[in-house]
Amino acid sequence: MSRFTPLEVTDVRRETRDAVVLTLKPDPADAEAFAFTQGQYLTFRRMFGAEELRRSYSICSGVDDGCLKVGIKRVEGGAFSTWANEEVKVGDHIDAMPPMGRFFTPIDPATAKTYLGFAAGSGITPVISIIKTILAREPQSTFTLVYANRQMHSIMFREELEDLKNIYLGRLSVIHILKSEGQEIDLFTGRIDDHKLDALFDLWIDAESVDAAFICGPEALMLTIADNLRKHGIADEQIKFELFASSQPGRAVKPAVSRETSVTGNSCAVSVTLDGATRSFTMPKDGNSILDAAVANDMDAPYSCKAGVCSTCRARVLEGEVEMAVNHALEDYEVRAGYVLSCQCVPVSDKVVLSYDE
Amino acid sequence: MMNDADTMSIEDYLAGGGKLSSPDNVPPRYRAELLRLMSSFVDSELAGSAGFADAINWAPGISQRIAASRIVLEKAASAEKVLDLMEDFGTDKALYNRAHDWATRQPRDAKVDPRRQGGDMRLSVFHAPLISWTDACVMNLLMGLATGIQLRELAQVSYIPLADVIRDIIPVEARHKELGRVGLVEICATEEGRSEAAASVDYWFPRVADSFGAVGSGRFERLARMGLRHRSNKDQLEEWTQAAQAQLAALKIR
Ligand SMILES: Cc1cc2nc3c(=O)[nH]c(=O)nc-3n(C[C@H](O)[C@H](O)[C@H](O)COP(=O)(O)OP(=O)(O)OC[C@H]3O[C@@H](n4cnc5c(N)ncnc54)[C@H](O)[C@@H]3O)c2cc1C
Ligand code: FES
Repeated sequence: MSRFTPLEVTDVRRETRDAVVLTLKPDPADAEAFAFTQGQYLTFRRMFGAEELRRSYSICSGVDDGCLKVGIKRVEGGAFSTWANEEVKVGDHIDAMPPMGRFFTPIDPATAKTYLGFAAGSGITPVISIIKTILAREPQSTFTLVYANRQMHSIMFREELEDLKNIYLGRLSVIHILKSEGQEIDLFTGRIDDHKLDALFDLWIDAESVDAAFICGPEALMLTIADNLRKHGIADEQIKFELFASSQPGRAVKPAVSRETSVTGNSCAVSVTLDGATRSFTMPKDGNSILDAAVANDMDAPYSCKAGVCSTCRARVLEGEVEMAVNHALEDYEVRAGYVLSCQCVPVSDKVVLSYDE
Repeated sequence: MMNDADTMSIEDYLAGGGKLSSPDNVPPRYRAELLRLMSSFVDSELAGSAGFADAINWAPGISQRIAASRIVLEKAASAEKVLDLMEDFGTDKALYNRAHDWATRQPRDAKVDPRRQGGDMRLSVFHAPLISWTDACVMNLLMGLATGIQLRELAQVSYIPLADVIRDIIPVEARHKELGRVGLVEICATEEGRSEAAASVDYWFPRVADSFGAVGSGRFERLARMGLRHRSNKDQLEEWTQAAQAQLAALKIR
């Protein structure tokens, strides 16, 4: 189960017009829990009105920086990112879970590796953490970063990257690609596509020497880059991806759990959505789970342990009332959002609408 | 986020060969199918480990005893590596181990439906009991070959943390298979040993073949779109059949 701990905001730095870097400090007693590996992220929670939102942000400091920093870019209309950019101030506390994530390769001080990184926009955050850590801890390794942004002034960590280049002479190279701002070299202007990547490999990057590649950016760009890397002989297991797209429940989605459901009959009209198809059936209120009823009605509903332990059978109740016998896998926050373990839930109301697709 | 206009749904991203790296961005149906794959692996390893425990005491010599103990240990360790990934999704690791009895087996001659049986998600082959050291070696060789093929498939899944863990497990499982093969070389040195092994092969061959799942199962396509499957059950089964027959021929069993 997740453990949230308050972190103190000790610095707020405006990085670009719409991105902010927060420095966070755990209580000394929690410091160990917040030790991190380069490329990991923190998950925050905060109440917005009556609703708890959770959002993840990659740590952008290196493991030897001695501090926790996150860089948060404001998303148009985004609840958490706007709050972080506009309201957070020094001295505030933010609830966070200990670092998680597996966007890294193991560090080995004795090796001399060649790393390649691709980042777009705020996708730089985990990548700069990786860069700093590798430069500090693998003295013979080198890193080439291809970094895509719209314009010069929207580049996060531009100065910090320059400083790193100077500190670690010859070991970090940064290629800035600007979408809508001309540069001296044509190749570095416009959007990153297969053609531009081919040219980069022809002129600037020796694909054969690459030991590992990191990509963090929007979906379409990550696909383009990964395909091109494969084309240049870089194997799947050498490529690490981090995607920022969030599947965490957003602000507007509120389950329509109606309170005035009737609980009079001995049977329940259940409607279950799975892979976009909805099936309706009636089941007796005899203690059998909704999962079993769905399976008995020929639905390929997901489950594994059937003991309330694994969460494979997670579904969302959109209407009606159910009761969960045991729950060892969902958190209160998910339960409040309407999630249930379908292997453990029996209908209470006479009608239940449940979905495996949300 | 990236202020780029070229946004794409995660479903399209996955269908295009994209990879995911965090429980925070897996869509719900992906989450469910991924957990299913992981628990099938974990349950099979735990049941495999538990089932092999008896073989320790059947071992004819000390080196075989050590080998069998290692298999019991390492299969449990491999299960834990994947269980750790499930924990990121909320699975209660401690309770998971206690949720089922990993040592239970059906009677030797029971006809086991290749689809899921009973409480856990182990592959059906792990419902069949081992009866002797020779039997254990045969099962290990045949199932070890199958596991190698099945893990190479799993190593390509679009959830990178799982693919990475599976890549670490592949050499461990290959060693287990090798221990079975080496055991069989010794057993097949005598005519009597070879005929006992042949009887075990008759028993295990069809059961291991069943572990590749139904040929042409409809789930494949849906899982393939999510990057959770790549090679068809039929292709994998064919590869296994050839590899197994070659090994048995080398041992002069079949
Ligand atoms: C593992 C991980 C690491 C992350 N690291 C970082 C990081 O280091 N820095 C950072 O700035 N962000 C990061 N993110 C993204 C971040 O978690 C939030 O998704 C993002 O800040 C939007 O949250 P919000 O509450 O402001 O917007 P919401 O209120 O959730 O959404 C508001 C609107 O924006 C849209 N939207 C939501 N999320 C995105 C998105 N990611 N891109 C485009 N549109 C979106 C929604 O559809 C909606 O219309 C990361 C995400 C993950 C999963
Ligand atoms: S199937 Fe494991 S919690 Fe329901």
